[in-house]
Formats: sequence, C-alpha cells, structure tokens
Amino acid sequence: MPAPDDWTPRSDAYFASPLAQGTPGKQCGLAATGDYQPSLRSPWLAAAATVDVKKVARELAKDDGVVFSEDYVYMCSDPGQTAVIDAIKDNDLNGMVISCCSPTLHEKTFRDASELGDLNAFQCEIANIREQCAWVHSDMEVATEKALKITRASVRRVQHNQALEPIGVPVTRRALVVGGGIAGIQAALDMTDAGLDVILVEKQATIGGNMLKLSETFPTLDCSQCILSPKMVSVSKNAKITLMTESEVESISGFVGNFKVKIKKKAEFVDPELCKLCDDCTPVCPVAVPNEYDVGLTNRRAIYIPFAQAIPASFTLDEEACLGLDPVVCGKCEEVCDVGAIDYDKKPTVTEEEVGAIIVATGFDLYGMEHMGEFGGGRYPDVLDGLQFERLCSASGATEGHIMRPSDHKVPKEIVFIQCSGSRDPENHCAYCSKICCMYTAKHATLYKHHVPDGQAYIFYIDIRSGGKGYEEFVQRSMENDGVIYLRGRVSRVYEKDGKLKVMGVDTLAGRNVEIDADMVVLAQAMEPSKGTAEIAKILKIGRDKDGFLAEAHPKLKPVESVTAGIYLAGAAQGPKDIPETVSQAGAAASKVIALLSKDQLAHSPTVAKVRDPYCTGCEMCVDACPYDAIALVDGKASVNEILCEGCGSCVGVCVRAAIDVKNVTQLQIHEMISAIMA
Amino acid sequence: MVNVEEIRGYAAGLLEKGEVKSVLGFRRGSASAFAEPCTLIEASDAASLVWDPTCLNNLALYLVKDRKQQAVSKTPDTRPVGIVAKGCDSRAIGVLLQENYFKREDVVVIGVSCEGTGVVDPRKLSAKLKGRTASRVTFDGADGINVSVYGDGTETVIPAREVLADRCLECRAATPTLNDVVFGETVEARGYNEPFHAAKEAEKVSEDERWANWEHHFDRCLRCFACRAVCPMCYCPECVVDSTTFVVTLGTSAEEKANRIRWCERSANTSESAVYHLTRAIHLAGRCIDCGECERVCPVNIPLRLLNTKLEKEAFEMFEYQAGHDIEQASLLSSFRDEDPNSFIR
Repeated sequence: MPAPDDWTPRSDAYFASPLAQGTPGKQCGLAATGDYQPSLRSPWLAAAATVDVKKVARELAKDDGVVFSEDYVYMCSDPGQTAVIDAIKDNDLNGMVISCCSPTLHEKTFRDASELGDLNAFQCEIANIREQCAWVHSDMEVATEKALKITRASVRRVQHNQALEPIGVPVTRRALVVGGGIAGIQAALDMTDAGLDVILVEKQATIGGNMLKLSETFPTLDCSQCILSPKMVSVSKNAKITLMTESEVESISGFVGNFKVKIKKKAEFVDPELCKLCDDCTPVCPVAVPNEYDVGLTNRRAIYIPFAQAIPASFTLDEEACLGLDPVVCGKCEEVCDVGAIDYDKKPTVTEEEVGAIIVATGFDLYGMEHMGEFGGGRYPDVLDGLQFERLCSASGATEGHIMRPSDHKVPKEIVFIQCSGSRDPENHCAYCSKICCMYTAKHATLYKHHVPDGQAYIFYIDIRSGGKGYEEFVQRSMENDGVIYLRGRVSRVYEKDGKLKVMGVDTLAGRNVEIDADMVVLAQAMEPSKGTAEIAKILKIGRDKDGFLAEAHPKLKPVESVTAGIYLAGAAQGPKDIPETVSQAGAAASKVIALLSKDQLAHSPTVAKVRDPYCTGCEMCVDACPYDAIALVDGKASVNEILCEGCGSCVGVCVRAAIDVKNVTQLQIHEMISAIMA
Repeated sequence: MVNVEEIRGYAAGLLEKGEVKSVLGFRRGSASAFAEPCTLIEASDAASLVWDPTCLNNLALYLVKDRKQQAVSKTPDTRPVGIVAKGCDSRAIGVLLQENYFKREDVVVIGVSCEGTGVVDPRKLSAKLKGRTASRVTFDGADGINVSVYGDGTETVIPAREVLADRCLECRAATPTLNDVVFGETVEARGYNEPFHAAKEAEKVSEDERWANWEHHFDRCLRCFACRAVCPMCYCPECVVDSTTFVVTLGTSAEEKANRIRWCERSANTSESAVYHLTRAIHLAGRCIDCGECERVCPVNIPLRLLNTKLEKEAFEMFEYQAGHDIEQASLLSSFRDEDPNSFIR
C-alpha cells in the first residue's frame, strides 16, 4: 500500500523499541486504522470520511512502546488480515490495537487474526473510532484529534492486558421452548429431529396458540386446524418432548449452555392419564364463563376441554371459575366422573429443569377492542375483531361456520372491514404496522363472499401492503372475483342507529364522505406482544423494543438471537409476522440451538471479575448488584463464579473500596486510558 | 428526661454479667464542659458515664476500630461491644450492619433518645459565650440549654435553636431505631428546621456562586483527612483517593505495588482537594447518616455536611432511601427497583 509522501514507515522503530532491548514487560501496539478513506463512495463510509487515518497512524508511530503503526483501506479484508498477521510475526508484537469500527462487529475478526499470528487473542483490543468519533463529527481536525486520543488510550490499555484463555464450560443438551403456538411447536419439533430433548412450556390448557383459532389461512385458504393439528399430535407423540401445559417459567439462573429454570405448573385437578374424554362432567357444572378459544363468542364451563383436538387431550378445571374447589360447595363433576380423574386437593407444582438453550415464542394478542371507542369496539356486539371473525367463519366455531350477527343471529348483508385499526397511529395507538392485517382482511372479505354470495363487503384501508408470495394476486382476486369494494380512507366513527351500524368514513380517491349502513363491522386490530411478555422478558433478562416486542440482538445479522447468550426468539413475540415467517423464524432459532448444543464445551469469555481480597470488606454490595448471581461471600470475602460472570462490571461500579476488577478492564487500565485522553 | 443513672446501671449490668467485653460511652472531659468518648471495661467504671448535650461524638467509629483490631489480633475477643448511641449513631451502626461489617449479635445498642433537643455545636456555643468557656451544659427540660460559665459561676439559659448543631435542628429520627434498649422518651421530629434545610438553602444560590464558594473551601483544605478519620463509614482498608494507606499484604504482588493507581494526588491544591471531597461525598451517597462529625472536626471549617446531606436529599427524594433505617434493605448503590426514575436502567 502506498505510504504518504511525508511519512516513511518507521522500520527503525522496531530496533529502538524497549521490547527489542529485552524488556519483556513493555508492550508494543499496532495502530492499524482501516476503512476510513475519504475517497470511498459508500454512504456510511462517507460519514466516516472525517478522520485523517494516515495522520493517526503517523502520530501513533512516534509514541512510546509503539513499534509498528500503519493504515490500510480494508483492514478486515483478507489481505488486510494477512498484513496484520505478518506485522505481529515480523515485529514480535506482544500487544495490538486495531483502530476501526465497533468491537461488536470486528473484535472477533481481529482476535482470530491475532491468534493466527501467535499473539494471545486477549492481547488484541479494538479502538472504536467510528460511532462516537467519525460519525458524530464533521470537522476533520477535531475528529482526527479525538481518534488519536481514543487509539492512544487503547494502546495504554493493551500495555496492561493479560494473556487469557477462554473458560471451557460443559453443555446441557436439552432445550426449553416457552410458548406452544405454531412457533414453539415448530422449533420444538425441529430440535427433536436433531436429537435434542425439549421441554415445551405453554400457559394455556392446550398448545396451538392463535393459529388454532383461525379458519383458513391466506393466500391459499388452507384450513388452519388441518395443517396445525398434525404438528400438535407429533408433539404429543414425540418421546423427546416433555409437554407442560398450564405452566409458566417462574425464574431462571445459570448461563448459556447451563440454565436452571423453575417452571410452575398449575394444579392438575383432572388427571390427563385417567380422563377418557366422556364429557359427563360439563353438563353438571353450574358455572359458565366466556370461552377463550372462541374469543368470547361462546361460553364454556369451569371444567372443560378447550376444543376437540386439544393437546394434551384431557378435560381441565379452571381454578378461577370453579366454585371454589370445595366439595361442600359444589363437587358435582367429581361425583359424576366414574374413573375418578378429578381431585380437588391437587396443588401447583414447581419443577426445576436444566437446559442448555431457550427459545422464547410467546406470541401475540390483539390490541384490545376497548381502545377503539370511536369504532364502537367493546360496545356493540356486532363490532368484532379479526380473531372473532375467524371464529365465525370456522367450522369448529360458535356458529359452525355460518356467518351471523352475534346480536340477533341474522346473516349480515352489508359488512365493513376497517384496516389499520390501532396500527400506524402513533398519536393514539400503536405506531407500527401490524403487517398481517391487509392480507387477513382480504381473506375475511373473500370468505364472507363465499359464505354470503349476495352480501356486500367494504374495506377501508390506508394502503395495501401485500408483499409476499402470491399475496398481491390474492388481494386482486378478492376485488375482481369477489367484488369486494376497497375504499381508500379512514373511518371517523361507527355508531348504532335503527339496528344498523352507521359507518362514517371518507373515500379519499373519490374525494367524498362515505356513510354505510352496515350489519357488521370487523376491526383489523393491531398485534401486540402477548400479555406477560414484559414479565417473561424480565425473568429471562432479555430486552424489549419500544413497542414491547422482544428485542433481537442485531436487526440484520442476529434476527433470532436475544441479547442474552443462549436465549433465542421465534414468532410474533419478536414482532408482527404471518405464519410462514413465524415458521421460518422458529426453524432458524431451532438451528441456532442445535448448533450451540452440538459442541461438548462452550467457550466462556475469560474477561471476568476478579476480587482483590485484601481490599474486600465483605459488604455484599457486589452480590446485590450482580445481575448474573455470579458473586457470593466465601469466608467474608466476595468470590466470583467465573462461569456465571459475564464481565459486565456492575460490581466494579458499586464497590466503593475498589476491591473488584474485570480482567483486562482493570482500574489501572481505566486510569491509564483516562490519563492518555487527558494528556 | 433521660436519667443518667439508668444508663450507668444498664452498662454496669452488661459488664457485670459478662455479656459485653466493653461499653463505649461518654465521660466528663478533662478540659472544658465537653464530654469525651470512653471505653468501660469494669462495671465499677460505669459511674463515670455522662449524658448531656455535649456528647457530640459518633461512637460507632470505635466499633469500626474494634473490628479492625480484632481482625489482626492473634487472640481476638469476639464478645460483643456495648455502645451508647444517639439516633444518628444508631443509624451508623445500621449501615455498618447492612454492609456486613459486623453482625447484629456483635453489638449491644444502648439507645438514648435526644428527646426533642440534641447536641450543641461547639462553634455556635463559643460565639454565644463571647470567648468565655462553659463549665457545664445541660438540657433545661424544655427548649433551652443551661450553660454555666467557667470561672464566674454564672448560669445562662440559651434557646436550644441558637446553639444546637445544624444536624440536630433538621433531625428526623432523634430516637435510636436500632436498639437493644432505649432510655428517654421517643421523639421523632424536632420542629426546628425542615429536613435537609441547609442543603435546600444552599441550592438557592446560583450554580456559579456555588462553585466559587466550594472552590474557596477546597482551596483552604489542608488535606489533614480528619473528616475521613472520624467518619465511621470511611472504613475501607485502602482509600481510593489516597495511597498512604495502601495495604501491602503477603498477597500483594510486585506488579500491584508498582501499578498502584493515584486517582488523586496528595498535594493540597484546589483541584486535587476537590477530587478528594467529591469522591468522598459520592462514596457516602446512601451511606451517610448525617452525624455531622466530618464538619465538626474540620480545622478550617469547611461545611462538609452540606455535600453529604445534598446527596442524602437526592437519595430520599428520588428513591425514598434513608441510610441506616432498615438493615434488611439492600444498599442504595447496589440495588434498583422497577419504579426508580430514569427508565434506561430497565
């Protein structure tokens, strides 16, 4: 690579260096700055054009302890890596600083290169001159000065770095899946195919989730239950899957490869082994509560089976609805059960399971109808949400597949669908697009026309988002073959008048107000993370995004990983998505787990906390502060479990006695870095 | 009114039965009217105990010293220590217990309620007496302090509000909350000044003026470290702002000795002294129980209590945290709750 005219590589620096004179403790750093050429045309590199990297390299070459300093355009490219390896070998370096972008991106790349050059990976540090330097400055002089300081600080730091070896940690070859919807089912089945044991935890009485409630699926109009129930049966027949319904994760400890999870299972009042599904118990039960499976369109008893193909196939007793589990008060179901499957004295159980990895697939709920007061949501029985309409269309639903009004059981002749109900409305509701509503509304309108050929369907929309294989064609068919009328505009209000639902809307294409006397209104409610997502995120220590969905580790490159190692995400809990996307994500998460658990040992980062015993007073502040429960008091002094420690430094921050340090980020090193920056 | 005979009797009882190895209390000082700390070993010594508004010291300091002594002793005496404690002293013991410095059974707290008054501020008293020396200072039972003046035998009653220490005027818990026994009536609020009164007053001044003021104070600091020496919370074996107490043990490596960090230089200039005082203040956030000892012992009258009470005020207003009130509670620095302000932490 051409060196600038005013700079000659300091080949003599090597000979003059203390290292060459045989002073082993002193280290030398390589400040190799790449990717920052002003001439590059890529937009983000243009933003980085503010640092004069040649100057940075030139200035650093003059520093004490630096024997080699060079800049290169693409340091992360293959020739760049080779240059790094050669530099280490040629100069016998015992420390290296790469001044480039953030360590999350390239730390591994350069540490691998470092190893190839026979330099311990932990003697290599990254000085990030991108995010907090090049990107935030426009003045080249200032930015270059800052880049110099950042790099200098890293050189001072690396001079005190220890050579470390990764800590080997054994792996538990079992996985936990939280959530038994289609995402959880798919992930569990995929993992058992690879020979892993899986624990599938589901909060409800049956697995299947929201997909179970759908009638047909877009764009092919496959029967949802017909494609889902074989998978549910596979789960129940699979010896490698331990299915725990009516169960929730209560707490978690441990770390990637070795989690310990406490799972709480509700009291099992009906023994699934004994229950023979005779249905003698429901007729005698005096209690009726809304049926979740039918989204409240029908009622069920306190003892019930969610639906005929439920897995596990057993009746179950709803503790909250039951008259008190007290035979003196009621006890009718126990009396009629001739196999004696019912036992009111059962208690909830908590089991502890050891797993190596976790997939979180807790799914979605629809945004509550109570928020949609202007559309009569929650007020008029004939204003339904999307899932309720699915139940009306479904052969297993309340009306056995006949579309009729819940209020008077008349067939609706005029029906209005309102898209983006609660979505894309940052002022009042959810800011995001729920992604699936355009398609399922088109499907609803089509299904309606199939059921009521002489009826008329109207759809209010903002715009149609039909990206997906066969999706656009499906929407076109609903317009052309089924005569669905699409009105581009929003609805201001829905109210009841003379037994009709008056829909006041606007058709922005025609530029006029629209008033429809509808028999039924269906709101395409936004998707939101299912109830309890916040709690499970907190228990598992994984992040959530601004809308409450589970946060992926990287939006592009780590879409199924959570921010916590060993915990993966699948399905709508991570963001709105349709069934094919959910299934693909579940498969991806499963393959990540399979890859993770295919090794005998996991490498744990050795940059963990270390207690300086003489200074520790045993105040336990670090024990309280540690988010990983990695510190305990042993003989009155704090002691770190290196396998649990993630090196986050929370303990260092709270220790007023400065008695704890993270390896290679010691207080001495921080002091040195500050000194370099302040110099 | 606290009957000092009861305290003496209780202390004698503890020593007689051998329940404690010693009792920390106050006795009459050899000069002037002010009481001085003492350690009783024999039950017969208990008669020397006194209780009046000159019992200024926070005796919890001597629990720390005892613990340090026992830690290096070849024949440590692990019997508990009895301690005469005011409301603020008991909170200091609370923080030490919270931080595991010793165990609850290692200490017998002989609580004494300040009963609506408190201790006098020697500087305020001396100003009142215009250079004369007090020979005897007592409560008058109401809101006054009786002062006998040395030499001429005259006795004056000074309104308590005018001579009480600032912390006593703002005190929220005059009765020891942590105790094995309490003498005197339980009195919570004093009704002199609102809590954090001095800190709130100081906040009224503009930021520039405040900084100029503190610069002035830090400039005068002699770095005698009396504030640190008297503080029961400053018990670290090595103070992070100072390397004079750097512990060298068998486990200290040559590298550690060579790489000793100097966050703050020993020279007493404004900038280094500012670092020392601000670091100390931050290390006491959520730990300072406002005994005011640092300010009392300062030879150049730096209003150190303001720095600490400002942070305690923040702790109270933002986290409803009061140092030393609940020994079961996790320390302010090491814990967070979902309802804490600043959502970035969640």
